[in-house]
Amino acid sequence: MSFITDSLILGVIQAAPLVLAAAGFTMIFYLNGFINVAYAESITMGAYFAIIFNTMLHVNFYVAIIPSALLSGVASVITYLLVFRPAFKRGVSSTEMIILSVGLSFFIRYAIQLIFGGLLYSFEVASPASVQILGIGITTIQMTAILLVAAIVIGLYFFIYRTNYGQMMRGLANNEELAMASGINPVRVSILIWFIAGVLGGLSGVFYGVFSFVNPSIGWSLILIIIMITIVGGIGNVKGALIASLLAGVVIAGVTLLVTPIYGEIILLVVFIIVLRFKQVRRVI
Amino acid sequence: MAGSYYFYIFSNMAIFVALATLLHLQFGRTGIVNFGVVGFFGLGMYGFGVFLIQLNIPYFIALLMAVALTGVISFLLGLVILKLDSQEVLVATLAFATIIADLVVVQKGVTKGVIGLGSVPFPIQAGLYSQHVFFIVVLIIAALLIMYAKKLEQSPYGRLLISIQDSELLSQSLGKKTFREKLIFFTITSAAMGLLGALYAANVHFLVPRLLGPGTTFTIWIALIIGGRKKVFGGLLGVLVTVGIFDFLVETYVPIPTGQAQLLPVIKMMVYGLTLLLVLMFKPSGLLGTSKKTTK
Repeated sequence: MSFITDSLILGVIQAAPLVLAAAGFTMIFYLNGFINVAYAESITMGAYFAIIFNTMLHVNFYVAIIPSALLSGVASVITYLLVFRPAFKRGVSSTEMIILSVGLSFFIRYAIQLIFGGLLYSFEVASPASVQILGIGITTIQMTAILLVAAIVIGLYFFIYRTNYGQMMRGLANNEELAMASGINPVRVSILIWFIAGVLGGLSGVFYGVFSFVNPSIGWSLILIIIMITIVGGIGNVKGALIASLLAGVVIAGVTLLVTPIYGEIILLVVFIIVLRFKQVRRVI
Repeated sequence: MAGSYYFYIFSNMAIFVALATLLHLQFGRTGIVNFGVVGFFGLGMYGFGVFLIQLNIPYFIALLMAVALTGVISFLLGLVILKLDSQEVLVATLAFATIIADLVVVQKGVTKGVIGLGSVPFPIQAGLYSQHVFFIVVLIIAALLIMYAKKLEQSPYGRLLISIQDSELLSQSLGKKTFREKLIFFTITSAAMGLLGALYAANVHFLVPRLLGPGTTFTIWIALIIGGRKKVFGGLLGVLVTVGIFDFLVETYVPIPTGQAQLLPVIKMMVYGLTLLLVLMFKPSGLLGTSKKTTK
């Protein structure tokens, strides 16, 4: 009993940043049809923006989240306009786009390392009170993260399936020419999607950072799991990605409780390779 | 010994040229998007190290066992992933490399983890000249691989591989067992990466998990893309302009103020990343490529 509840609760907490990042990553995949490895740097940048606000400008952590996430969104739009859109126009294929995004990812990551050094940063947060839930102590930050993630996920779902822009996005992803013929401005919708994805990535980075620490490779260390979640959850399927990220969190937490943390990642990756083999991935939804 | 630094760098470059040529065979020829080069390389490296040092197996038997181990694992991995589309192969091989790197860190009892495993001697002991002999050995291996790639370009087997890359379905309709051919080719070329890893172990002497970071895969990829992925000499040229410029020319001849030296690898990776991006956008066929790319 306690093992199950422990894994469930720790898993949900651990999954909070993963859910956000997986949702954002999925939106870009859905819209543009390639695995954007440079999304890792949206996560890292979000964390570093928050570090600048929180530890250098001494802004309250909860306040610092907002500008950090927005700046991360802006950075994501800049990469789209400066790199990915021109690359699409030049007819770079989807496999080459992944490699190109790896190049961009290395460039940004090491630029961050050049500026901040390879040190570990931690947020300045007043030592949080903890609440007991099913016998596990949960800090207020963790509670905030979970509630915020839940709110964002509901909002995102509403956005994608219930609003005009969500409809435009789905239209653009399914058939760009038809969407343009119906008067949808592809650039405006794309900018919006890349912005939202960047904001989600940034938030993910902030929460990941506050649960542990911030260094230049936090995004890279998460991106493989995020790609995996997205593929297993059904590429471009936001609902699937959310469920898969929660599952991944629970699995990692469960394995971590039993053995050392790194085995969680190993087991997850092995399962992932096998799942890939037996799953017929839907490419266009 | 004065020459030892140069021969260390030159041997590494020859090993990287060989790796990039193998990647040319996998990716440029056959269309297998292997983004886990360091996984196969690392498996050979640590397999050899563990067999030799932890299990005290004689040198060349340990070397053969490491190559065989890499081959078997590559075969099993190939069975699972080679039917997937190229984006999925890319992610799966990256996941494989991460698994290998994780295992090396976590299986401390076998690999000694972050403490490091050592020391691996050169394969041929020739007193003061062991390192020179070693360089000649890896140079010959790199040259043989390039010659093989060149020969493959004109052979029926090479054309079969190209046909798999261009249209696997069409190739199947002509009666070719494409999956089997791909699997065999992938197993052999990946096992060769394992051999290079084992030789690399002899060159660095001391094995630490840091050697299995994604930087190695990335360096091989950028070298091949810059040189020209479909060109036999693409890997050679690419390694000369990337590793050659940074790890040899800059580190040897550019005066870097002490205290700034640790920034060099960081700047190197930034430049690599930017170069990869620019090459893929403006000249995706690489320096040796002539026309704009034709296949996916």
